[in-house]
Amino acid sequence: MAFLPIIVLLFLLIKCGWGATEAAPVGLLITILTGIFVYKADITLIAAESAKGIWNALIILLIVWTAILMYQVGDEAKAFLVIRNGMRKLLPNELLLVLAMGWIFESFLQGITGFGVPVAVGAPLLIGIGVAPVWAVIIPLFGQAWGNTFGTLGAAWDSLAMSANLAVGSPEYFQTAFWTAAFIWLWNVIAGVAMCWFYGKGKAVKKGLPAVIIMCLIQGGGELLLSQINTTISCFVPACISLIVVLLLGRTKLYRDEWRVDNSPIMNRDFTEQKSEEKLPDMNLVQAFVPYFLLSAITLIVLVVKPINSLLGQISFGFAFPETSTGYGYVNQAVESFSPLTPFTHASMFLFVSAIIGLIYYKKHGWIKAGGVKRVFVKSISMTMPSGIAVIGLVIMSKIMDGTGQTVVLANGIADVLGNIYVILAPFVGLLGTFMTGSNMSSNILFGGFQMTTANLLNVNAAGILGAQSAGGAIGSAVSPSKIILGTTTANILGSEGEVLKRIIAITVPATILIGVILFVLVAI
Amino acid sequence: MENKGFFQTKEGGLTIAFIVIMVAFAVIMAGLGMESGTICTIGFLLIVAAMLYSPIKVQVIDRLKKK
Repeated sequence: MAFLPIIVLLFLLIKCGWGATEAAPVGLLITILTGIFVYKADITLIAAESAKGIWNALIILLIVWTAILMYQVGDEAKAFLVIRNGMRKLLPNELLLVLAMGWIFESFLQGITGFGVPVAVGAPLLIGIGVAPVWAVIIPLFGQAWGNTFGTLGAAWDSLAMSANLAVGSPEYFQTAFWTAAFIWLWNVIAGVAMCWFYGKGKAVKKGLPAVIIMCLIQGGGELLLSQINTTISCFVPACISLIVVLLLGRTKLYRDEWRVDNSPIMNRDFTEQKSEEKLPDMNLVQAFVPYFLLSAITLIVLVVKPINSLLGQISFGFAFPETSTGYGYVNQAVESFSPLTPFTHASMFLFVSAIIGLIYYKKHGWIKAGGVKRVFVKSISMTMPSGIAVIGLVIMSKIMDGTGQTVVLANGIADVLGNIYVILAPFVGLLGTFMTGSNMSSNILFGGFQMTTANLLNVNAAGILGAQSAGGAIGSAVSPSKIILGTTTANILGSEGEVLKRIIAITVPATILIGVILFVLVAI
Repeated sequence: MENKGFFQTKEGGLTIAFIVIMVAFAVIMAGLGMESGTICTIGFLLIVAAMLYSPIKVQVIDRLKKK
């Protein structure tokens, strides 16, 4: 019975093809019914766990909305078109250009915004430089995946820490961050090499390998290093650095001359750039990046300068919850301040301030036309709400499962049946969660507590299991139908999702197996 | 083509559902504070109603309209 809500959720998403916004509430309803009738929870317990879920979801949704707001500001000012044209001039080597536009720029966007924005933005940009539409969706999906856990200023990571009850700054917190970042680094390398392979098989891998190694050292290696210092910026900072370094690489002897693979299977050589129907704004590359420069500066100042961080961190609030228990005696302890929010040091505040200043800056230069401000806000809310309701549903579902003892029962059952072999499956659970929900963050919310409980029952390294969960979740973002649809929509090939998925699965599944096997060898033998 | 106002669209409906959920949150917190099971139940039912808006609209009402 504990597995029933998850089975129904999977069935509705995969078999029936429902969206997460429709499937999550049904999964939630079943969780509530099993909680009341099977686990003997009273209405106060269910209501209290629901309120905890709403509060947690609200904190997450603040990031979702402000991230999308930031994207809409750039989109309204046509800043992304300026970025596309600017990059093309700076990088004459076509392979490096594809890597920069399909991987490095998406990593940068993932570091800040996420929630499918890198795929939605990346696909049309790649088509603009002559990449075939299906590949223009596949490449950003690969490119953004590594940034899913620590990207969006650590939203998915925070969710993992929250659902697995990892105290911020504790040894377990940093050990888990280490395992997660190490597994993600492995994926980062696989994705980089795969993108070169797609472009021009062995010839392109040979040409692109130095760039891939440098990028992966900066991104995966930098993330691993920073995850031990400050998890909020551990993707964002390496992603920014890699964006600068890829432009510098374009000036080096290896990549400064024009180079391309003529028969590249991903390039549409018949492509002739359509004369843009829309007039480009009189904006240079630096001006197009203004909101992102602001975000980088604000984030670094607030998070790194200790006196400012301490001052702004003084304002914090959370809600008190009473003790509740089920008819079987499963107790949820009372808390004085549940998951307190510190608004002025929260990622959403950095995103919001940068988006608003960016909006004012673009408007002052005349790049935001009449009615544009209203459009930006309406579009940001329209884009947030469908995923918002899904996130609320999933977080409440996860809280009720935890609060009624269903997660513990589920973990007990799996541990009994599979034993240590479960370790190999741990990253698949994360991948499955992202596949189902479209978000690494939701996967971590849904399965973080479950993975932690299972690891403890099996008496294996919980940090490793949680690391595999989140890394699997990050990889899963490349196969998530909702993200694929975002790409196929902006690439104007809606309906080609199956073709995209088929090509991506050929690499994501072996990569996930590899992580599971490595984890098994390291912690379970 | 008919020009719909924001709150007539699915996104607008979901925005209203979101607002109802926020109200329900406040009701439950008040219920927990006053140790009132009735108020908690009202808040909880509001959440269920708001959450079910999307599946009922997409999977029931819209399908019936198509038929």
